[in-house]
Amino acid sequence: MKSRLWILVKGELQRLNKYNMTFISILVAFLWGVMLFFVNAEILGTLLPLVILLDATMMSLMYVGSVMYFEKSEATISTMLVTPVSNAELLLSKLLANTLHNMGASALLIAVFVIIKDVQVEYLFIIIGIIIATASHTLLGIVMAYFSKDFTGVLMTVMVFSLTMMTPLILLMLNIIEGEVWEVVLLINPIQAAKEVISAGFTGYVFTYKYYLSLGYLLFGSLALYKFYALPRFQDYAIKNSGV
Amino acid sequence: MFKVENLKFRYPKNKEDTINGINFDIAKGEIFGFLGPSGAGKSTTQMIMIKILENFEGSIYYNDKDITKFSDEFYEDIGVSFEMPIHFTKMTAMENIDFFLKLYKNKGDVESLMKRVNLWEDRDKMVGEYSKGMKIRLNIVRALLNNPNMLFLDEPTNGLDPMNAMILKDMIREFRDNGGTVFITSHIMSDIDQLCDRVAFIVEGRIIEMDSPRNLKIKYGKRSMTLEYKENGETTKVEFPLDSIGKNKEFLNLLQTKEIETLHSGETTLEDIFIKVTGVQLKDEE
Ligand SMILES: Nc1ncnc2c1ncn2[C@@H]1O[C@H](COP(=O)(O)OP(=O)(O)OP(=O)(O)O)[C@@H](O)[C@H]1O
Ligand SMILES: [Mg+2]
Repeated sequence: MKSRLWILVKGELQRLNKYNMTFISILVAFLWGVMLFFVNAEILGTLLPLVILLDATMMSLMYVGSVMYFEKSEATISTMLVTPVSNAELLLSKLLANTLHNMGASALLIAVFVIIKDVQVEYLFIIIGIIIATASHTLLGIVMAYFSKDFTGVLMTVMVFSLTMMTPLILLMLNIIEGEVWEVVLLINPIQAAKEVISAGFTGYVFTYKYYLSLGYLLFGSLALYKFYALPRFQDYAIKNSGV
Repeated sequence: MFKVENLKFRYPKNKEDTINGINFDIAKGEIFGFLGPSGAGKSTTQMIMIKILENFEGSIYYNDKDITKFSDEFYEDIGVSFEMPIHFTKMTAMENIDFFLKLYKNKGDVESLMKRVNLWEDRDKMVGEYSKGMKIRLNIVRALLNNPNMLFLDEPTNGLDPMNAMILKDMIREFRDNGGTVFITSHIMSDIDQLCDRVAFIVEGRIIEMDSPRNLKIKYGKRSMTLEYKENGETTKVEFPLDSIGKNKEFLNLLQTKEIETLHSGETTLEDIFIKVTGVQLKDEE
């Protein structure tokens, strides 16, 4: 059972590579890297966490959305349904593989900047932050793919979601919205919560209840989303996209 | 082996039932065919039998056990090919097969299967570069790679050239001769006629008739002998009943005295019987 999950994860990763997603994500990371390389140290301090945030959230949604779209267009899910693999194994393997895959670029970026620009990070917290932010948004992306009819649909959903969610985040950052009430209320926005847990990985972050609130929200929110929505609706999704 | 009782099914968005209460059972070691026109509900029935479509009415048993009580282990035991061949197109045939093979406990002999369908030479080609017929053949390999006890084949010969269709039919027969059980759907009469031990005629989600092709021909068939002969430069065609033809004076007389051009025994085809029994044409005959 455990080894079958691993076979599935490996298969997903192999396909991500074959379908050029690995290349694209490394390319994107490289472009971010080039951009960050030329900004001064002070701006780098605020920009790097933001780039990591974008990579963990928006890009995760985008990648998993595209991957699920490719899968839809090949209708391979129906074949998976007639193997001894359970729906939970299928869904979990998608989540694991895509999370691993999406984390790769962020990890690479951070490693590079730690080495060449001497950026200070707290390894434990940056790892926790990236994992939880990426995993929760990958799951969100999977659920969004349930609703999208075609590739444009995937892109639209991701774009609309990201823009809607980024707006309050930016308003907060620019102090256009102010006050602790807003800071807490807006944690309901998963990207805002992700920002909190990722920021904790950079030296100088001040831990407050907001960190634990964000972490708990992303963790239990994802678990609930997985258990009560993503998994029960998987069969329906798979049948609809089995091309029969 | 497989038993379907009062099966009814409606797609969630539809107003009417697609399957309207059908009953049949498939014995172990039997090839059982579903013959019907497009839209009759053949694929739908197969999707229900392989536990993909749920929420049906009625009962279905596999080896005397309700199929809804089976876990995903059910799939260790069966092999399925869908109407459309389905693979990861950016991977080679062998990468596809290896991936699926790893998911089963029971592992068949891939090399001999691939050789059998003449794909061994092309095993390292991307499936995306395969022709339609090659994809269909690969589909069969996938359905057989876990050495299943029962096969479900949805229009397996559709899109195959006669040569490969024959190989495939041989494989299906061989599978049966080794104790396997087969459910097969088709709208191609000759496939069903050549392969099936029993056939069900399905129209609009109802089974209209069910028996062996041979019994159906005896029951509905008109057995006759048609003779064409030439006389004064003109061809005349006469038809005689096949029963006790050896004593038919007129027939014997013609044979002895005329210049015979053709002589055919006309058994009614399964397709003729299908049309006669159901009143429906089997469309898009290939
Ligand atoms: N996903 C679906 N949702 C709603 N209705 C469907 C769906 N799939 C099939 N149907 C309807 O159910 C009926 C039976 O379809 P089915 O695919 O089982 O026919 P079939 O006998 O396999 O035909 P064919 O020979 O063309 O493959 C058709 O009227 C079809 O429109
Ligand atoms: Mg069909």
